[in-house]
Amino acid sequence: MPLSRNEAETALRDISTAERASATTYGYRRASPYLVLWGVVWAVGYGVTYVRPQYTIIWPVLVALGMIASFWIGWKSDPAGKVDCRYVATLLAVFFFVMAVFAVLAPRTNAQISAFFPILVALFYSLIGIWTRGARMVFAGVVVAVLTIVGYFWFPQIFLLWMAAVGGGALILGGLWLRSA
Amino acid sequence: MEQPDAVIHQPLRLKIMAALKALPDREQIEFVRLRALVGATEGNLGAHIVTLEQVGYIDVEKDFVGKKPRTRVRLVRAGRRAFENYIAYLREIVEAAPPPENRR
Repeated sequence: MPLSRNEAETALRDISTAERASATTYGYRRASPYLVLWGVVWAVGYGVTYVRPQYTIIWPVLVALGMIASFWIGWKSDPAGKVDCRYVATLLAVFFFVMAVFAVLAPRTNAQISAFFPILVALFYSLIGIWTRGARMVFAGVVVAVLTIVGYFWFPQIFLLWMAAVGGGALILGGLWLRSA
Repeated sequence: MEQPDAVIHQPLRLKIMAALKALPDREQIEFVRLRALVGATEGNLGAHIVTLEQVGYIDVEKDFVGKKPRTRVRLVRAGRRAFENYIAYLREIVEAAPPPENRR
């Protein structure tokens, strides 16, 4: 017996709900290792900069390692084994955006630079969450942004240590939280 | 109007197919994750997975991670096509029949 209009509409709604839930958890699963990875990068980078401020080389090294590891994660998790060139384009766009912002609004202190990147990262997580209906991603982004601002204004003496423990920790926990979805 | 695909036309199998279709081509999902997504019991999901596998809509891969058994499922091309046809069938019904308030 053919379906009624109501039955067909209900089935289409069920399909849409199941597809959305599946796509969201898939997105969480893909994003999770990146959050954990960059959480570790932050923890090490800010931690070393706090203990040994003269070791400025640590950041370029960590960022380079983080990017290589990110590409490796992307390549490993893509069943087709291809690297999407949009990731490269996104990294280039972000790089030129940061250069342009620093040229126009040059930061005056190291703390400003240290706060800027986490806020930028938090913005990306929130935007990704908004566009993929991933409430957990939005939450992770908001938490990182709020913790960064709190540390910057309320704990300036230990800001780098704060970012190592709280910022890096929030990213690691956020990544594990996404994986559990 | 033709009849719906009897295999897909079952509430839980419909959800399973929808959840699998949302994944990229060739992407697998673990049985435990799929169970959480569609809200089914282990036995019930297992039975429907077997049905979908027997008609060639999905591919089931079983292996071990350490000593723990792992079952992963993915939609194959025939399943994707059948599911798309099923959605087209549902849309055809919705578009062909007038909305309830316009009926006399």
